[in-house]
Amino acid sequence: MNNEIPVQTLGGQGEVMAHAVDACVHCGFCLPACPTYALLGDEMDSPRGRIVLMKEVLEGGLPLADAAPHLDRCLGCQACVTACPSGVPYGELITAFRGWSEPQRQRSAFDRSKRWAILKALPAPRLFSVAARVGQFAKPLAPVLPAALRGPLDLLPETVPAMQPSPKVTPARGVQRGRVAFLVGCAQQALAPNFNAATLRVLARNGIEVVIPDGQGCCGAAALHTGARDEALKLVRANLNAFNPGDFDAILSNAAGCGAGLKEYPMVLHGEPDEARAKAFAAKVMDISEYLNTLLQNGELEPPVPASRPLTVAYHDACHLAHAQGVRAAPRALLRAIPGVRVLEVPEGDLCCGSAGTYNLEQPELAGQLGERKAKNILSTTPDLIASGNIGCHTQIQSHVRRQGSPTPVLHTVEILDRAYRGEL
Amino acid sequence: MSTEKLALTTNSGVRKPTSAGGASNALAADLTRVLGPRKVLSNLSERLNYRYDAIQFGATPLAVVLPESTGDVVTAVRAARAAGVPIVGRGAASGLSGGAAPLEPGLVISFTRMTRLTIHPERREATAQAGVVTLAVTEAARPHGLIYPPDPASFRTSTIGGNLAENAGGPMCFKYGVSGDYVRALEFVDADGEVHRLTRDVFDLAGLLIGSEGTLGLITEATLRLIPPPKFTRTLMAHFPEVGACAEAVSRAIAAGAVPSKLEFMDRACTNAVEDYLHLGLPRDAEAVLLVDTDGEDLDTVQDELRLVEDACVASGGTVRRAATDDEGAQLWRARRSVSPALGRIRPQRMNEDIVVPRSALPDVVREIRALGDASPFPVVQFGHIGDGNLHPNILFDPRREDAHAVHDLAHRIALVAIRHGGVLSGEHGIGSMKRDFMRDAVDPETLAALRGVKRTLDPHGALNPGKILPSEDDLHAHP
Repeated sequence: MNNEIPVQTLGGQGEVMAHAVDACVHCGFCLPACPTYALLGDEMDSPRGRIVLMKEVLEGGLPLADAAPHLDRCLGCQACVTACPSGVPYGELITAFRGWSEPQRQRSAFDRSKRWAILKALPAPRLFSVAARVGQFAKPLAPVLPAALRGPLDLLPETVPAMQPSPKVTPARGVQRGRVAFLVGCAQQALAPNFNAATLRVLARNGIEVVIPDGQGCCGAAALHTGARDEALKLVRANLNAFNPGDFDAILSNAAGCGAGLKEYPMVLHGEPDEARAKAFAAKVMDISEYLNTLLQNGELEPPVPASRPLTVAYHDACHLAHAQGVRAAPRALLRAIPGVRVLEVPEGDLCCGSAGTYNLEQPELAGQLGERKAKNILSTTPDLIASGNIGCHTQIQSHVRRQGSPTPVLHTVEILDRAYRGEL
Repeated sequence: MSTEKLALTTNSGVRKPTSAGGASNALAADLTRVLGPRKVLSNLSERLNYRYDAIQFGATPLAVVLPESTGDVVTAVRAARAAGVPIVGRGAASGLSGGAAPLEPGLVISFTRMTRLTIHPERREATAQAGVVTLAVTEAARPHGLIYPPDPASFRTSTIGGNLAENAGGPMCFKYGVSGDYVRALEFVDADGEVHRLTRDVFDLAGLLIGSEGTLGLITEATLRLIPPPKFTRTLMAHFPEVGACAEAVSRAIAAGAVPSKLEFMDRACTNAVEDYLHLGLPRDAEAVLLVDTDGEDLDTVQDELRLVEDACVASGGTVRRAATDDEGAQLWRARRSVSPALGRIRPQRMNEDIVVPRSALPDVVREIRALGDASPFPVVQFGHIGDGNLHPNILFDPRREDAHAVHDLAHRIALVAIRHGGVLSGEHGIGSMKRDFMRDAVDPETLAALRGVKRTLDPHGALNPGKILPSEDDLHAHP
């Protein structure tokens, strides 16, 4: 797309943004992939429309405040990136744009404090856990609370489990075949501690030593994607210091959003002194399903115990796995590796569930519509189990599936594998 | 043909003053009052996004209406006529001729919310409002054992209204016919805001509307013919060391009696652009790739026909690979659909042509265009529906560094190649504003006069999508 974005005055992030706008040929192939276009049916709420809006704002032809409502509605799901033949790095564009524009935003005091609370609580598992426990007691009050509070409460599980701190080193069982570093994540430690426990068990079972380096923290994706670039940079640099890529075969995450965030570090630091370090780091980052699938493809995966009865599993593609990381085949292959398991494809599988990081807190109405649609689509396959590889999707899908009256268990892919190894599937 | 008048909600009353964030002009304010704020876009941030299609940026409209019914369209047309501003219809704006990009500020009517679709299996028909996405028709029809064959590359995005306005084609159209061939009846709103329902009887006014690019009326609903899908489909890919050889293979195959359902070609640059996107293992070094489907009710016949194509390809120096599975075939066709936008990987902008030439002339035409490209400073790529002689030569350029006039000039010379070989300018994308200047080469003055007569009859005030298709009469006087 022809543009006059003043790259010189915008620096490294300006190059990132101008490159993305250049690459767009405004063909419209992204429209059917976009969740907000599906819901709203107008061009401003489509990826192509948003690219035009960002271009206009960057060129100075449109006030930021006019474009902001449409840009804020973007989930950052990156389904448009998968659909884009001309290779527009839309995810990089919207992330860089949010970082550039946030300092110029005029926000109400309520908005500012909400953002502050989210960005403080999310990366701090203990604080988050306390908040979640308090929230659990407030849950019955949800109908009489303001909408801004109702959204997050709806997503809380009926019981918030106790946190299970992970050991710093989990030794391999049997002959050691590899050594990986593991990012433990934030919200999932409070909401679904079994994700990490299952991950450690499955890796150990496969002869992989798992190290949880000290000093690691939040991946920074939530801050980055909501435009809090300075916050994000602090978190990014802390992780670059905590993980030494040379010490490990891989750096693993079991949360799609976090894994995608880690892989974005080179883009975040584009044109800065740490860029080379970020590249070396990102080159080692893998989702847990990618890593286990390489074992499977090399014939090295410990064979799982067959399921006790034929089981159907509806696999939900997390946007940050399928679209942001291009990981689609690996989790399906792992589930199929369990004898007796059949993987079901979900209609409209490419459409976001509406969780999208902090989206269900910031755009509860659209997030609710997408969650309802996702749950309907998943339940239409009448699965025995529902699998996904992301904590955000997990809470969103669980909440909406329950609301539609279904007791179908919602699990992480690695939890299903773990159950199989334990003979509990 | 029957006509009916819908009551117009009149805008007497005082006009709302413009306010920041509200309606920015009188037309938008009037429309908002009559249709409600949900259906009218008046902010600059909204209107900016209704000025382009997939090839061109035009003028920012004064107001945008997102109608939810034919009645809304009538109201919008009448308001625009009362305000004396032009009206441009718009589907998904995935067109490639500037058809939906307004040339002057006016009203844009965007049909994306008119998505009612009904399948009538017993009549093998679908009734689709203008905003129904093309692929949605087949998706809804398939459970009834029926499909809607027209399959433009953008069929996941494009709308029925836009497809009919441009008379869109697609790979399936070689055997099954183009969009217009599937229309049993049309509903449209004319330039005065009157609703007409047309069947295909004398004078086939519906046929006149099809391919008229929104210059004669606004299509609001269509009754479409559906067919049962072929029982068997087989796919092959052939690649060639030279573009002309690929075209010769096509002529040879058809001369031998093969009637493939799809027969598509892309040159080396196209193949590399889609390979960069999809990583399918396409032959990057080949000068031309041919994709072929044969289909039918009897597997032996389908295989025999594929064999005829295969033999023709080999005889012309090609290397052939059959798709082993349906999934492999589907991937190859996804690659073909991605060609046009994938060209954005080579240069940010392109001039896209849509010529149709007699099949016998194909080898000469592709070679001559190739030579024009080689002699020019621009990458010139070719792909298209080679089975029916419909080619899309594209000139790729960067407007910041390269001369747009030189691009236009080269596009003109490419168009003349087609015309010299007895061809026409547009097979399926329409003329729009992109190829309007070449119309005088392609159509004789008497025919142009007749077309102008049609336009004057149906749109006497020139309100509907002005500046498209027909070259301006002023130019005609200036260059007789």
